[in-house]
Amino acid sequence: MTEQLRRQQASDARAGSDRIAAAFGAATAITVVFNVVLAFFKEAYEPLNRVMAQLTGHHWITHGLADILVFVVLGWLFAAGGIPSRGLSQGLVITVAAATVIAGAALAVWFALV
Amino acid sequence: MKDILLFSHPTFGVLAILAAVWAFVEALNAGEANHRRLWLASLAVAGFFVLAWIFGGWYYVAYYPTDKAIILNGPVPWAHSFFMETKEHLFFIPLILALYLPLVARLNVAVNRPARAMVLAVTALIVLNGLALEGAGAIISWGAKTALAQSAQVQANPTSDRGAH
Repeated sequence: MTEQLRRQQASDARAGSDRIAAAFGAATAITVVFNVVLAFFKEAYEPLNRVMAQLTGHHWITHGLADILVFVVLGWLFAAGGIPSRGLSQGLVITVAAATVIAGAALAVWFALV
Repeated sequence: MKDILLFSHPTFGVLAILAAVWAFVEALNAGEANHRRLWLASLAVAGFFVLAWIFGGWYYVAYYPTDKAIILNGPVPWAHSFFMETKEHLFFIPLILALYLPLVARLNVAVNRPARAMVLAVTALIVLNGLALEGAGAIISWGAKTALAQSAQVQANPTSDRGAH
């Protein structure tokens, strides 16, 4: 490892970049699952769909904004709270990947069946 | 305006996929020399995905209801009931991944192994999801085209089997 890379790594740690990346990584995994759960509830429970449509004029706009809000708020809260405590880890990479694959597959199965 | 929105959506989607491939390759070969390029590629992924969201969303909210009615009355209604319904919700998953990517790509992935693995995983998932979305979009367009073709056929020959029904 060169001196410049060492300095960059130390700088990342000092600035809390690693902590922020880990926090928003956890927020990403949760938001991906939240997105799918919201889609299921919205499709299965018409009053929720109607309320979401009334909030912004279209249920899909509300859905997207809710996802962004969950991502940003959770990421910010996790970063402030030092979550996950292990920081950016291989386990978090697997969690994000698994959440994405399972959520995508669940969406496809749901709409194939309903 | 309608057609500009319709064409802008998949165009920015493809650009986001290409940028994700670019970021993936930069992460594979991560070093001092390409740290800035990786950062720029990650910003391009996020930017293009947001543009695909805005243009696609605008079209979906303002114009798609007409397309939906056409597709549902055509011979392949599942182009909407399965592909569009899945696509409109699946889209948010790579969007969130794209927004997250710059936060991890700014780390020194040349020495930070989990960061490098995260960039590789996130970009690969964006590419795979993006390709699935592009394919679904093509099927939805085909659903509308097939419905319109059937309608035109009935108008041209109302006594045919289709017209008699």
